[in-house]
Formats: sequence, C-alpha cells, structure tokens
Amino acid sequence: MVDPLSRDSAGLPEMLDHQPSTHFAELPASPTEDPEWILVEEGFTLAREHELESLFAIGNGYAGSRASLTEGSPLSAPATFVAGVFDSKPGSVPELAPMTDWTRLSAIIEGQPLRLDRGHNLEHRRILDMRQGIFWREWRHQDEAGRITRLQVLRLASLADRHLLVQCVTITPENYSGRVSVDATLTGPVVQVTGNGTTVAMAVSHRVMNRVERRAPSAEQVGGRQSFELKLGETYRFDRMVALHTSRDTVEPRETARRHVERAIEDVTGVIGEHREAWLARWEASDLRIEGDPAAQRALRFAIYHLLSAANPQDDRVSIGARGLSGTTYKGHVFWDTDIFMLPFFILTYPEAAHALVMYRYHTLAAARAKAARLGYRGALYAWESADRGEEVTPSFVIAPSNEVVRILTGEQEQHIGADVAFGVWNYWQATGDDRFLIEAGAEILFETARFWASRAEREEDGRYHIRRVIGPDEYHETVDDNAYTNGMAQWNLEVAREIADLIVERWPEQWQALSRRLGIEPEEPRRWQNVARDFYTGFDEQTGLFEQFRGYFGLEEIDLASFVPRTAPMDVLLGRERIQRSKIIKQPDVVMLVCLLWERMPPEVRKANFEYYEPRCGHGSSLSPAIHALVAARLGDTALAERYFRQAAEIDLADNMGNAAGGIHAGALGGLWQVAALGFGGLYLCGERPEHRANLPLNWRSLSMRFQWRARWHELTVPEGTESRNAEDAP
Amino acid sequence: MSEPVILVPLDGSTQALAALPVAKVLGGIESAALHILHVGEHEPAGEGLRSRLGREVPELDGLTIDARVGTPSVEILRVAAEIKPRLIVMCKHSSAERGKMPGRTAMKVLHDASCSVVLVPPGRGATPWHLHHVLVPHDGTPTTSAALRPAAELAEHAHAELLVVHVTDIRGAPAEPGSLTTPRYVDQPQHEWPAWSTEFLNRLSSICPLGHLHVRLLLAHGDIAAEILRLSEKRSTDLIVLAWRGRWEAPHAATMKGILREAHCPIMVVRI
Repeated sequence: MVDPLSRDSAGLPEMLDHQPSTHFAELPASPTEDPEWILVEEGFTLAREHELESLFAIGNGYAGSRASLTEGSPLSAPATFVAGVFDSKPGSVPELAPMTDWTRLSAIIEGQPLRLDRGHNLEHRRILDMRQGIFWREWRHQDEAGRITRLQVLRLASLADRHLLVQCVTITPENYSGRVSVDATLTGPVVQVTGNGTTVAMAVSHRVMNRVERRAPSAEQVGGRQSFELKLGETYRFDRMVALHTSRDTVEPRETARRHVERAIEDVTGVIGEHREAWLARWEASDLRIEGDPAAQRALRFAIYHLLSAANPQDDRVSIGARGLSGTTYKGHVFWDTDIFMLPFFILTYPEAAHALVMYRYHTLAAARAKAARLGYRGALYAWESADRGEEVTPSFVIAPSNEVVRILTGEQEQHIGADVAFGVWNYWQATGDDRFLIEAGAEILFETARFWASRAEREEDGRYHIRRVIGPDEYHETVDDNAYTNGMAQWNLEVAREIADLIVERWPEQWQALSRRLGIEPEEPRRWQNVARDFYTGFDEQTGLFEQFRGYFGLEEIDLASFVPRTAPMDVLLGRERIQRSKIIKQPDVVMLVCLLWERMPPEVRKANFEYYEPRCGHGSSLSPAIHALVAARLGDTALAERYFRQAAEIDLADNMGNAAGGIHAGALGGLWQVAALGFGGLYLCGERPEHRANLPLNWRSLSMRFQWRARWHELTVPEGTESRNAEDAP
Repeated sequence: MSEPVILVPLDGSTQALAALPVAKVLGGIESAALHILHVGEHEPAGEGLRSRLGREVPELDGLTIDARVGTPSVEILRVAAEIKPRLIVMCKHSSAERGKMPGRTAMKVLHDASCSVVLVPPGRGATPWHLHHVLVPHDGTPTTSAALRPAAELAEHAHAELLVVHVTDIRGAPAEPGSLTTPRYVDQPQHEWPAWSTEFLNRLSSICPLGHLHVRLLLAHGDIAAEILRLSEKRSTDLIVLAWRGRWEAPHAATMKGILREAHCPIMVVRI
C-alpha cells in the first residue's frame, strides 16, 4: 500500500517554487532562472542546516563538498570528501575521510562579526543550480549599528577539471564605508595521510579584487586575516581556488596540486566557464524532460544532478556510496544500491561512468573471492558493504537509541549482493554491447558469482537446490530459508553465466581458452551451473501464481498496515523487532523486487498477483522501497498508484521536516526515482535487441522525453500524452 | 544584580514540606537562597508556619519565612512578580486537596508564573533528595530545545546525567521547521541509528548548549506518557522536565497530564 507521509508534503513545492530575484553581476556567472532547474531555500532555520548542507552539496565524482555556510553556524558541518579516500580508526570500519574545510571565510566589519545569528537578516537565500552545477548564496545583513552588507557566494566542483574546487565571494557595503577583516585561513592541514597510506594534498590560492577599481585593495595582513577599507557601494570579490590531488592519481600530489592551482587561479572566469559548459553537455545527454508537472521535473533533475555529481568515468577504482559524496552517514560504503538502483541511469545516459562503476566491482573481485572462501564456498561473494578494497566492512553490531544492542547480520547473510553485482554487469553489457568489457572483466564476475551460488546451494531430499540462512532485501526477516529474491537471482546468475560461457566459447574461443584456464573452469562446469539453476527451489506456487517470500512466510501473522496510517516511523520501531519478525510486514520489496528485475521472465498474471499480494504488506521502512513500487505499479498500468509512490520517493530528500538527508542525500533512492520515470512511466524496455517502450504516463504529465544510449548509439525517447507503445527513435 | 532566589510556597501542612528537600538541593545547585512563603487565607501568618505545623521543623531552621494573607495562588504569583525567582518549588497539592492531579493553587501557579515551576509529589515526604538523573521528554522541535535551556543548565550545575527521551508519536510529527522525529526510513540500522542520534543531539545542542553535560538519548515508542514514566522508573530519575505550551484543555497537554498524575519524582515545568 502507498503510505502517504503524514507530515504535510507542502514542503516539497514550497522549496521548489521560489525563484532567484536578484542578479549576481559581480560574479563570473549568474544563477539559472528557470525554476525547474533550481532549488531555493529562503531564510534560515538553524536546525535544518545539516539537511541543507546535503541537499545543496556540490560534487564532480572526484570530490564533493557540503553546502556549509562560509562563516559557519552552531550547527555547520562543513566537509569535503575525495572519492575512494577512506580512513579507519582502530577497531572501526573504514569511512570516507573528510578533508580540510576549504570554504571557510568569515568577515568582521567594524568589529562586528558578520553572522546569521547576529543582527538582522534582511534577505537570505541559497540556490542549488542544477543546470550549471553551482551552489549560490545571497545574503543581506544589517548589523546592530544599521550597516547593511550584501554577500554573494558562488561555489562549484569543476566538472571540466575534476581536481579543482572554486569559491567566489563578493562583499558590498550598501550604506557605509568601514574596515573589514576577512579570515579565510584553513583550519586544517593541506596535506593529509590516511590510515591506509593515501596522501591527499590540497593547494589553495586566492585573491581579492575591488570590482570598481579593478585592482586589489590595499590590505593589512594580520596573522591569517586580511584587513582593508570597504568603500560605500563598491563590491569586493574574494576568489578562492583549490586543487586536490592524491597519491592514488599522482606520485607527487603536493607538487601537482600546487602547480595546478597556480595555473588555474590566473583564469577563474575561464575555469568557471568550462565547468558550466561541461554541465550543459552532461545535461544534453542525461536530462529527462517532463511537461505538465514542474515539481516532478525538478525532483527528477535533483536526482540526476546528485547522481552525476557522484560519478567519475575517469576513475574505475571507486564507486558511489549510499550517500554519494554529500555526507558522512554510511561512511561512503558501497551497497547494492549502486548496482541495482543507480547503475541503470548511468548505463543509459552516461555509459563511461557506468563502465567505471562495473570495473570497480571487477577490481574488488579478489576481496569477493576471499569472502566466499572465508565462508567456505567457491567463487566470489561481494561484500554487503565495501569501501576502497572491496572487503566486507559492515559493522557487526549497533546500539540502537532504544538502548538495545542489535547484532548486524547483513554482512554475513545478505548474500543476494553477489547476484545484484552480476545483474549490473550483465545489464551494462546488454545495453552497451561492450564485448571487450565482457571478455576482460564482466564474464569473470558472472562466472565467479555463479560458482558461489553453485557451491552455496545444497541439494536436498526433494531433489531441489536450496539456500538456507540468508537475508533477502526485506531485512525485517533474518536468517530465513529459501528467500525468493535470493534464490531467483541466484538462479538467474547461474543461467546467465552458462549463456555467457557458451557465447564466449562460440564467438571468442581463444579468449575462452585463456579465461577458463585462468579461472580453472572445467568444460562441464557451465553445464552444472545450468543444472543447478534448473533444479532450484523458487517458492513458486502454480495454483496462486505467488512466490512465497521465504519458507514459512505465508504462515506468519497478518497485521493490517492501514490501521497505522498516518504514521511517520518505521513499522519495526512501532512493533518492535520480535513482533515484526513474526509478522508478514516487510521492509521493502522482495518478491516485488524480483518481479521488477526479472520482468521479462514473469508471465503478466504472475507479476500482477505478486504485486497485489505483497504491496499491501510492505511497510516501506527503506528509502529504496517507494521507487520500486512506483516502477512496478507503472508497468502494471496502475498509474495513479505509481504516481503516489513516485511522489513519496521524491520526498525522501526534498520534503522539509524529514531530517533524513542530514547525513547526505539518498543516492539509491534518487537512482530509483529516475528509473520510475524512464523505465516505469516512460516504459523503456531494454531486454531485446532493440529498445522498446510501453509508456504509462501519469495523467498530468503531458510528455516525457529523454535521450539514451543503446549499443553505442544515442536514441531519443519521446512519449506524448496518450502514447501506449512504439519503438524508440534513433537520435542523430 | 540581586542574589538568585527560589520561591517555596508552603501552606502549613506536613505534606507541603515535601517541597523543602527538593528546594534546598536546587538552591544549592543554583546558589540560590530559598524564599519560604506562607499564605494564610484569614489570619496573618505571624508566628505562623511552625505553630501551624504543630511541631518542630528542622528543615525550616535558618530560613526566613515570608507570611502573607490572601488567596494562596494570587499571593504566590504576587511574590513571584516581586522577587523574580529562578524557580518556584511547591507541593503538587495543598493540604485540602486530594487526587493525583495538581491542585488548584499549583495549576494556577503553573499557568501564570513567568518562571519554571517544580511540582513535588506529596508522597515523597521529607526524604532527602539529590539530583543525579534528569529526564527530558523531547518532541524533536526547535521550540522544545530552546525551552530546555534551564533544565540543561541545572543538570550541568548538578553534574547530573541528562536523559533525553524521544517517544515516537504515531499521531504524526510536528510541522515546525527543523523538527527531527523518528526517522521515516531506516535503511541500514548500523548506520542510520548512530546518525540519527547524533543529529538529534546536534540539533538540540545548537539551540540549547549542552556544555560538558553527560547526555544520553533514548528512543521509545508507545503511549508517550506511559513510556516516559516507565523510563523514569527504570532509570531512577530524580527530576522530569516538561516543556509546556500553556494549553491545558483537551486535547492539549495529554502527555503532561499523564506524567503529572503518575510520576513519583518532582517535575519541572518550563513554559514555552
């Protein structure tokens, strides 16, 4: 069932509907004015700072910075992360290492600190300019002596040159002349060495300019502060440029960063211009346009913006963590979110970035093999949570705020991740036709994950293969036997591995010889994969058309979720862990997830029956849940239900008062939101030799259009109102 | 600046003396003098309190007793307006009142006093009191955070533990911007719960500085008043601090009523 948020969802349109009203003439660029491309936050609510820092974060896949206030506040948590740079403290799991805050700039005017919590804020506005990848801020402040100061900020992480971060700040005294003291000193080291030996060097360069006189003001340097006279009505601009390099990408990160920033500071306007062009070009490929629903349009662009901000096609040894580079929660760890929820967006609109993501899985295959071996199995089992090297980094317990010590079993039992990675690899290859990837990396992942399932499944007295003691996507039920999703995806993994083995034998026999020798694949092994797949227990009931989510599920207690509406808390909090485990309430789609991924394998009546059975029993305790329900509902033709779930998914980050985004945006849910639009409402199907679509647009969507790449060719999908089915057109 | 004062109204009954041990400890923590107020309805209190009690009351030794004539609640509020006490500490009932809810005098003072009021259950008698554990129910709103500043300061001065309790409210979450309630989605508890706890306390401390306080956050679910009372018993809480918006009529203040009715420890009510 759709679980509408009881908190008034008016927060979403309110945030989205404002438009910038002023010009940023003294900065090298101006905000986009089209309200469908921007998010605007007016005013200042201290308690929301962490949320806003996440939502308005900037990033380019190499580095990401939270949208903290330059001068800070009691709740500011500025942080910059570099993808793949993790640190670990003794006894704890690795986490993304925060870099020194490069955005800090505080001003004292005539002895009065310029702060939001002092004096009067005449105007305060923050803008996330998704089209240009820029964070803007405008602030007019009146101090207790009546001095009015205007401050404007532009901040970006260059998409054209991923090592560069830029911040331009203007200060204009509107009704006074007076002395300002500006402190922009870094509060941390410019060279950091993480626990695993990675060196990160940050080189900083800055300059100050009087925009009227076109020269630097005569300044007095006191410690790290610059002090000079502000003249009435004249604007002073502070440009700061930062170059970041690590020992992961160069042998001399410090020197490389220094040279890089020295070059770049000479042409700030040029750097910003190239960055804007890079974003515009990116949007040309990745935008998804909606007519008739501005809120949905902006929510989708918000999703696309953050997905693009987290991706870097130039580094195939990093992936995208659950919160991208926008926050510390989840420690930068990579989950199935990337392979199942985010990857389709990249495969279809940014295949170079998708390639990097699937290659991350290839580079971490050794750790997956080690995990499988540690558990006593063959092949490869990917980590439920992985960091830079792919080792299992799931914490083993947590102390819940109920004071209960909760043992975390996902690192051992949520083994469907292996098939999820394989599914992402196969999807990538299907859509791109990247045979080189398949032969050099993808096939190895498919074979090794299949090997794991072949050794993990046990043939029992009924002659069927069973997998016991696992957790499916529904994490409310732990240590279950024959989870339908796990078994179904394992079966798929085994079958596809066999098909790919046959394909390589036939088309690239020499490569097969080398690969099979290297992996020790005996000639009969692929056939054994097929046999295991054929005899897998699936929990499918021919009579009802239902999959039983796991052994014994149908005998659990029925609890009517409708009786808890409205609610704002997860069902396991309301009922307790023990009760929820004895009930049929599920955390997120499990069987429905299987239906969603293996859509073409399921007869229409089976899809429908399972959705209708499990959807009312889903408590949506996961942020990944609403999008999948929206996607499946749309494909089943229940557009109204799909639209409600789409809205719920869009609100996960964007609705104010939720607090969910304080530790970073939900990258998986954002990927899911895009899938609802493209694969659900747009109805794009990518399983055959030629892409097709069977659209199911919401009533108020007049049209949906997008470009996508299929087998190295760009296609244009345009769905006018009323369209039911047609082939996607080739785009020039 | 005048010396801080704690106002302690006593009505001459033995049960009202339950406020004294609490007031004395709070006075020590706050470095505040106790201002004992005895209001007689018909006669000048004069010799007053001690004789009315009909016995020696060592708790009153050394304390000045301010005696007034009139309606108790009116006189208490009048004195409070004059001396501007940091706190009013009084027994939940007057001698003539029965039942579990605060009596008329206490309710009037609660409603109209401009400072926080500590209500002491009469049943605790003259037992010595200490302040080691302070329990603060918190609905997640910035308004409540702001209201709890005096409680946090009190706990810090007493070197007491501050136990912040957030009870999931199934009826919905507050609409106030910046509110943080039970997370709607808990994708991975090993990450979400530490993050949520940190965020909750960060938001609280950005508005209500927590200094070096030992703070513990607990999340509970169920009937809010019942959960707070359960945790209060379990944790041997010495003081419950409630933020009150000043509305008493149903459906308002349901939680506060439940706690006032059943709590065994003193309750400090802070007006929002």
